[in-house]
Amino acid sequence: MTQATTQPAMNTNKMTNVPLMEVKNLAVSFDNGSGPRIQAVDGVRMTIYPNQTLAVVGESGCGKSVTAMSSMQLIPRPPGRFDRGEIIYRMKNGKKVNLLTMTEQEMRAVRGNEIAMIFQEPMTSLNPVYTVGDQIIEAITLHQDVTAKEAWKIAVKSMNDVSIPEPEVRMKAYPHQFSGGMRQRVMIAMALACQPRLLLADEPTTALDVTIQAQILELIKDLKATRDMGVILITHDLGVVAENADVVCVMYAGRVVEYANVYNLFDNPRHPYTRGLLASIPKIGTEHDRLITIDEIVDNPEEFKKLPGADKGVTPWWPWNDAPDDLVKLDQPAGDYHLQEVAKDHWVGVWHTKGVVGDESPPPHLNYRVIDNA
Amino acid sequence: MPSVSSSEPESIPALAAPTRHRDNPFTRSKPALIGFAFLALMFLACLGSLPWTLTAIDSSVSEVPRYDTGDPKSGRLPPQWWPYDNIDTQRAIAAVDPIILEKIATDHNTTIESILDGSNEPAAKAALAKAPTFILGSDTLGRSLATRLLTGGGISLTIGICAAFISVGIGTIYGAFAAYMGGKIDAIMMRIVDVLYGLPYILLVVLLAVASNAMLDEYQSRSRAKANWSINHIIQTQSPDPAQPITKSKARIIFETDPILQDDLMQQAVQIYPRRVFTTGTRTTLDVLTLLIAIGGVSWLTMARVIRGQVLSLKNQPFIEAARALGSPGHRIFIRHLLPNLIGPIAVYATLAVPQAILQESFLSFLGIGVKPPLPSWGNLAAEGLSELNTFRSHWWLLFFPCALLGLTLLAMNFVGEGLREAFDPKRSR
Repeated sequence: MTQATTQPAMNTNKMTNVPLMEVKNLAVSFDNGSGPRIQAVDGVRMTIYPNQTLAVVGESGCGKSVTAMSSMQLIPRPPGRFDRGEIIYRMKNGKKVNLLTMTEQEMRAVRGNEIAMIFQEPMTSLNPVYTVGDQIIEAITLHQDVTAKEAWKIAVKSMNDVSIPEPEVRMKAYPHQFSGGMRQRVMIAMALACQPRLLLADEPTTALDVTIQAQILELIKDLKATRDMGVILITHDLGVVAENADVVCVMYAGRVVEYANVYNLFDNPRHPYTRGLLASIPKIGTEHDRLITIDEIVDNPEEFKKLPGADKGVTPWWPWNDAPDDLVKLDQPAGDYHLQEVAKDHWVGVWHTKGVVGDESPPPHLNYRVIDNA
Repeated sequence: MPSVSSSEPESIPALAAPTRHRDNPFTRSKPALIGFAFLALMFLACLGSLPWTLTAIDSSVSEVPRYDTGDPKSGRLPPQWWPYDNIDTQRAIAAVDPIILEKIATDHNTTIESILDGSNEPAAKAALAKAPTFILGSDTLGRSLATRLLTGGGISLTIGICAAFISVGIGTIYGAFAAYMGGKIDAIMMRIVDVLYGLPYILLVVLLAVASNAMLDEYQSRSRAKANWSINHIIQTQSPDPAQPITKSKARIIFETDPILQDDLMQQAVQIYPRRVFTTGTRTTLDVLTLLIAIGGVSWLTMARVIRGQVLSLKNQPFIEAARALGSPGHRIFIRHLLPNLIGPIAVYATLAVPQAILQESFLSFLGIGVKPPLPSWGNLAAEGLSELNTFRSHWWLLFFPCALLGLTLLAMNFVGEGLREAFDPKRSR
């Protein structure tokens, strides 16, 4: 993977240069019963464009799924709560809406129709008592005013789109008669039956074996390109990210720590946590006595002094480190943190120090796509 | 290479496997089919014969329905195909119409006494041929057990099915709603169930039965309407100034302290509000209706708990969240995705609830709150039969047949329930 193979996407379609969805300063917390509220997501910013795959990576509990679920209001409230921020989405008719403040009724028109989601567990994401055909048809009739016959045709077509052989026969099969990969295809067929413009794929391949995983990801990639659809790919597999993502957003403890296009991120990771993540991947062909852990890197103070502007006191934000002395804490949640564009098209979460004040960069927006020269 | 005997068929590639024929899992299960056939027969026999058993044999002679018609003289006779012993024979002959008996006596040149004590055998045989016979024997009052079993079956099955239907209906809706709403609503609804669980169910049934009785009595006697009329009459007639009528409480005091006026007014009131009369049939129907509502109304608690547990585990299944993510509205998720997944436990519980309701009905009948004699039910027929079981002389048929029918019906229901559960389970093995 080299910088030379990339170039900014020059898309003739004007619409692809308009952001599809912008997450602005999102903060979500959960009631913890007796204790204080748990801040699952704090000041998250990201932008997704049509025909772009935004990979959100991070370890368990870093807020990847909460961010995605928030955009469909699928967070159970209570105990969940949207503290602040907004998620601006451009509807099919061009209207801009804030997904966080929509009513349940309005959300129903968005879910499935504008934004669709595929889940981690294809084994249990289908209702066992209906045939897969019934379930795809249900998804279609929920949003489209079509007759049963037309819905059947659309369902067969969408089964065909996800490369299920003999779709007419499979329509009448029950989920338990399908393998995991087939079920995930059905989930994708269901999700895409209503032509959504944004697909949230929450670890879509975690439960599948590697060959099926590759097929499913390839399928998502193809469908994304043919439909000009935005994809948010939530994963913790960096291999999947390298293969599929255009833009990568690394999260930790509910905040974005690094945001860059896939080449910049892998070639030149700026945040110590990202460096730790990449260093901890065992490489085939090299001998390891033991693997490098993330802790080894993030516990090293020197690692935090490598950012451009470090001399001005721009230091990567890290929850386990003490805040720098010149911290300017704003009177708002996550006020000690800012997502700063430290180099061109490369954002890193930093402490909100004097070096950053007055020089705050706009939220991350990367209208960038990898050109497959394969 | 393992040696393969030539008789064994060669294996074929999986891709070439023929499409499996999927037969109907309900009709595949033999016990379920037999059980279903038995139940269907039982229903046809018991419910279909009700117009016959509930009407009088000859309405010009007597209005007593067939199931209650019997001559005490022919009481406790064994089934006609059972060998009579001496005592049975004597009692059977004694039940023969005296006129016929006399005719036989003259035909055989003997006395009625010698026929009765069996000293003249040919005459006794001729008399026995004329004696009343019962296909399943007769009870203490000489009523046909077969007729009573048919009527009782109709009553028991109706109560069982309807009570189970009510209990499953209330329980499913209540439990599913509580679990689906969750949080405080769930907590409050389930605490109500806990409290009701704590009360002895007999108490609840008795309360319901007594309350409904009181309501029916009030409806018939119209005592409140009569009292109101009397009070209004006093206000109209006894007010010194029509523009300023006396108060209701004052009128009530006048009404209660003057017995002569009270009697007089009541007699007038009866003319205006005559007592409503129910036929025996209506009253019986109402009693049975009360009973099945009472049984169904208290036995939904277990169902509610079972269903709540199922829904709690179901509603956290990813497919429910997937349905939400597709934009399904809440009520649609509830009806389309939750309820169909509950068919298994509902079918199983319903088939268990039917026998339970039948047993509860027989228990209540035994206590005197349930089906009131002479109306039979399998429960009170079995209770009567049990009291006829003694070491001196056992009238076994009175106990055996009701119990056999009850037991076989319950068994058939369990088989059908098992068959249904298998049929509704999409993950069935074959």
